[in-house]
Amino acid sequence: MEFWSEYLSSLLMGFLTTSELVAISAPLGIILGIALGASRVYGGIILGSFARGFSALFRGFPLIVTLFLVFFGLPEIGIYLPPVTSAILSFSLCSGAYISEYVRGAIMSIDQGQSLAAKAIGMTKLQEVLYIILPQAIRRAIYGISNEIVYMIQYSSLAFAIGVQEMYSVARTYNSLYFKSLEIFSLLAVIYLVLTALTTLFFKGLIRKLEIPSKAE
Amino acid sequence: MIVLRAEDVWKRYDDTIVLRGVSLNLKKGETKVIMGPSGAGKTTFLKCLNLLVKPDKGRIWIDGEEITSPKADITRLRQKIGFVFQELNLFHHLTAIGNVMIGLTKVKGMSKSDALKKAKETLKRVHIEEELWRKYPAQLSGGQKQRVAIARALAMDPIVMLYDEPTSALDPGLSSEVLLVIKELSERGITSLIVTHEMGFAYEVADEIVVMNRGRIIGGGSPEELRNAKNDEVRNLLNKWNGLKDGVLV
Repeated sequence: MEFWSEYLSSLLMGFLTTSELVAISAPLGIILGIALGASRVYGGIILGSFARGFSALFRGFPLIVTLFLVFFGLPEIGIYLPPVTSAILSFSLCSGAYISEYVRGAIMSIDQGQSLAAKAIGMTKLQEVLYIILPQAIRRAIYGISNEIVYMIQYSSLAFAIGVQEMYSVARTYNSLYFKSLEIFSLLAVIYLVLTALTTLFFKGLIRKLEIPSKAE
Repeated sequence: MIVLRAEDVWKRYDDTIVLRGVSLNLKKGETKVIMGPSGAGKTTFLKCLNLLVKPDKGRIWIDGEEITSPKADITRLRQKIGFVFQELNLFHHLTAIGNVMIGLTKVKGMSKSDALKKAKETLKRVHIEEELWRKYPAQLSGGQKQRVAIARALAMDPIVMLYDEPTSALDPGLSSEVLLVIKELSERGITSLIVTHEMGFAYEVADEIVVMNRGRIIGGGSPEELRNAKNDEVRNLLNKWNGLKDGVLV
């Protein structure tokens, strides 16, 4: 009884930390991904090359390496970040790199006529991208983005490696103290499952809301 | 008063020369029709006029300002030209009224309420009924889409309207509603340059018809003059479109 009361209260704290990690990293990753994806298509040589390099870099090695580089590596050049901030930065950079691929693909799939029509009414390139291309491209990319955010919930557990007391870290600690692996990790699995299901439901609702009617009513 | 002037416009795509020194003037209130076989360079020429396609050589003036000048403010000058595409390029994510409003709010900087008022007026002008204003492009017929596209261009108060084969993507039954709108606008003094294959419409609406072939203007004149064209190349082309060999145009 004492175990469960202690474990549940610690897990609640871990749940709040996991939620904080995802709730901050997800919008940052999405914004970064959209900016990088758009830069890859419209950024010209300098910005486009930077975005391409960024995406290749952060998709090119495991997230745990990014976490270690940010948390243990940056202090060597005088930048000290707390564990939660390091985790948020790493998750945002990684998800931004992946989301940029979805956004780039979606932008490329918008037909050329949309761009010509925007130019023809006197829009600048920036207006064309902001008001015509991106609203359509994001609608197409949102399926991939939602997948990436669900994935982020799972990989937020890696933050334990730099000392963040999120859900997996709490479970791991209690398992080493009480050796009740089945109970501890089953409950953890259920919570992750619920979080994933809620996120999926949220995105399904968003997709429905953003859907462009396609047939006569 | 000349509102649109093109002088010696050339355009090449790889090894193919699409325009070979095309020159054309359009006076205020005038309706000019460009006709010619496929591949004649009509669409490319029209797109050169607002620099959607950049000409390799030649100069173009809109309302006395040279759009081909390196110093030209192209986005501002494009607002003076309404362009209607053959591919019905409505913005898919916006309703009919949203398509008309977006240029007014984002390009012209109008308030939402003013833009809404103007968009409603313009949609009425092209006979788009109120129950269609909140429909998305995918929910409209081809003819309705093209009329919304005309409204979108018209709402920007251009000094000239360019129509690039506005009915070629439509079923014959839907073409007439679009042609009627263009004819009405033309009769109300909207300066228009129309690329079309609709010969009957061209004769009905045009002050002058220009005939293009292989990247050049090979002839032109009023509909009446064209009916009695002396130039063999022009006469043969027109006869071909009419399905006649050596017959008389009807």
